[in-house]
Amino acid sequence: MPPASFKDDLIAEMSSLRAFAVSLCGSASVADDLVQETLLRAWSKWDKFQPGTSLRAWLFTILRNIYYSNCRKSVREVQDSDGAYAQRMVVPGDQESHVDLEDFRKALARLPVEQREVLILVGASGVSYEEAAAICGVEIGTIKSRLSRARSQLVTTLGWSENAQAQLERKIRRAG
Amino acid sequence: MTHSNSKKADQPGETPLDTKVLDAIGRALKAHYDDLVKAPLPERFLDLLDSLEIEERKSKGDADAAG
Repeated sequence: MPPASFKDDLIAEMSSLRAFAVSLCGSASVADDLVQETLLRAWSKWDKFQPGTSLRAWLFTILRNIYYSNCRKSVREVQDSDGAYAQRMVVPGDQESHVDLEDFRKALARLPVEQREVLILVGASGVSYEEAAAICGVEIGTIKSRLSRARSQLVTTLGWSENAQAQLERKIRRAG
Repeated sequence: MTHSNSKKADQPGETPLDTKVLDAIGRALKAHYDDLVKAPLPERFLDLLDSLEIEERKSKGDADAAG
């Protein structure tokens, strides 16, 4: 039986696990099933977890494996909702500060899943490059190149690079 | 691999992004993810862990009683 603390540790990671699941599969209901199956598997394989390593990374690995082996095909059909999934899950009253967030979500949803997962893992979920490489089963170099491609793609979709360039040029003109 | 750290761009073929753009992506990503993290969790996750724990206790109790 897992130690008593294991359950509490799982509970502490549930929110992150679900956020990762939603980011990965693009559907809140599919994400919930993924989290449920991940918790079940983590519970039954608790002795495979190496103490001192990141529980979050271990859980993400399990969830990702389940996603890629079970759900990918069925999920792809749901995913065309173009980022609407995330909107449904937003906590009310917390949107005023991010005006462009909806556009950003749509751009994020259009990325290939291999790029999106890396962006979420490294850029938001607090997972290191090394852990991301282990979670995705690839080299760190691959993580870095996916990250770089994901960012470039986002910038293109959002038209941010042109804006930034234009702003920069205006600033330069003003300074001159 | 390790000495490529001094280079700014990850990939030689790609234009390095402006720091401001990178910051904006980072902020948007965090805002997006934080919203997801803050979303209320379904009760069934806690219920599942509770029932798993009860099951384990029961089967452990049975084993102890039998042994």
